[in-house]
Amino acid sequence: MSARSTMTEIMNASASTTISQSQPVAEDGGYDLYFGPAHPGSGNFGVKLKVAGEVVTSARADPGYLHRGFEKLMEYRMPIQNSVLSDRICVLEALNWNLVHAEAVEEMMEIEPPERAKYIRVIMAELSRIQSHIIWFGAFCIGTGFETGFKLAFGYRDYILDLFEMITGGRVYPAGYICPGGVRRDFPDGATQKIAQVLDRIRRMLRVEEMENPGLVGRAKGVGILKLQDAIKLGATGPVLRASGLKADVRKDDPYEVYETFDFEVPTREEGDAYARYLVGIEEIRQSAKIIQQALRQLPEGEVIAPKFKRIKLVTKIPEGDVYVRNEVARGEAGMYMVSDGGDKPYRVKIRGPSFLHMIPVLEHLLTGAQIADVPAIYWSLNVCPADLDR
Amino acid sequence: MAAKEALEILGKISSEFKIKGEVRRKGRIWLDTPTEGFVDFCRWLKEQGFEHLSAISAIDWPGEGMYELAYHLWSYLDKTLITLKVKIDRQNAVMKSVTEIWDGSAEAHEREIHELFGIKFEGNNNLTPLFLEDWEGLPPFRKDFNWREYVGEKYYDRDNERERVYYD
Repeated sequence: MSARSTMTEIMNASASTTISQSQPVAEDGGYDLYFGPAHPGSGNFGVKLKVAGEVVTSARADPGYLHRGFEKLMEYRMPIQNSVLSDRICVLEALNWNLVHAEAVEEMMEIEPPERAKYIRVIMAELSRIQSHIIWFGAFCIGTGFETGFKLAFGYRDYILDLFEMITGGRVYPAGYICPGGVRRDFPDGATQKIAQVLDRIRRMLRVEEMENPGLVGRAKGVGILKLQDAIKLGATGPVLRASGLKADVRKDDPYEVYETFDFEVPTREEGDAYARYLVGIEEIRQSAKIIQQALRQLPEGEVIAPKFKRIKLVTKIPEGDVYVRNEVARGEAGMYMVSDGGDKPYRVKIRGPSFLHMIPVLEHLLTGAQIADVPAIYWSLNVCPADLDR
Repeated sequence: MAAKEALEILGKISSEFKIKGEVRRKGRIWLDTPTEGFVDFCRWLKEQGFEHLSAISAIDWPGEGMYELAYHLWSYLDKTLITLKVKIDRQNAVMKSVTEIWDGSAEAHEREIHELFGIKFEGNNNLTPLFLEDWEGLPPFRKDFNWREYVGEKYYDRDNERERVYYD
């Protein structure tokens, strides 16, 4: 059997990869292999791999399938419109990006949201983090062939989406619920009890997730090891960096909203492999639940939106200047740089998504030298989102 | 090393380099940096603990004939954010690359700016486009690129009754 037909069989068996038909054999005897963009697990993103035998010799990220040009679009719109637009930066954690945008506008305009709004924001951002981590877990499971985990995760995620629907009106996109000045509306009756119930359910799910599934452990342990020095050099943040051993979290190091009042741990691991990233993700769900519980207990009464924004005026001048806002979203560090020349629209907005560096330098670094069969495990262990890479 | 306060860091910067800056709020330093000796200054900052290049932003100011680049640096030790602002000429948009200091992270950020603003980075060998396929027009994030006009011309049909509204 020739080397090429063996390769083809492997490709068909994994059912997740396709051989480039135009140039199957490179001069050095290797193969070109495209992982994505038409792959059920990759999202709208591709990686061009060069493969020799079973080993990936080089990897090139191929983004751009979700490039919508939000930075440019925001230059043509007023903050109240951009707030709705900011949902779409990352599909899987719309509320977190709402918060980043709202904070940038507030810092430009020197507005302080009311205390109750800050607590509601934290609760919503943490719920959003939990459901995003659940998607991460589900995608990681299906990437490594553990389909039960995927179904379990997406089933439990729906409980949180029900909460979002009840509170914001939208299941996935809250349509700018966290807006400049506070939040659009107060919790409806019974919301706090319902959140507490959902948290109990999520804890029950975690107990199942924690059972060591041999298939998942075997596919993830020792795979895609990211050393700490490389993680820092390549700009990794969030759970990816913490799984490599650095205790860094924007919520602790550079607190925003009311995070400094809560007691929570920042989980870290030393191994830096795909399994360590998965374990950090699971522990973060538990810590987020802890934050929400404290926030629900301390939730103060009062207004939920600053007086200036109470009756929404469409045209609001943004004072001249610039700000850089950092937040910890589920995937890592989110940043927004906003410049204003004194008009009613921002002059320039730069969005820094955590996946930008996770999916270009970090992914290319980890895939080079890896086995073909490990590509999905490495890819999904990075908790990637093509939407916030392309913007 | 013990963590330093933002004011302390700013004091050290202004004593070693002639660079003006301000502390806007806790842990936020803003510096106006000259282009001469920029890379050396960045190297010094990295040695001081600013290991994380969070982002590079470009701002187009066609009225003043310049691009402004903002480098956002974070120190895991001092828990401080420094934003370096550099102005470069718009006609001859070339900047020294910081890839030798922040490696893969800088490379990716510079690739993006090169594609969307057309700024060249000397010393970065990998400035291949990321997002746009076979793009030959003006870099699209520049202020003089009118995307509304572009979309109208490219994607809408003036003779079609339904799509004519996009031209009015």
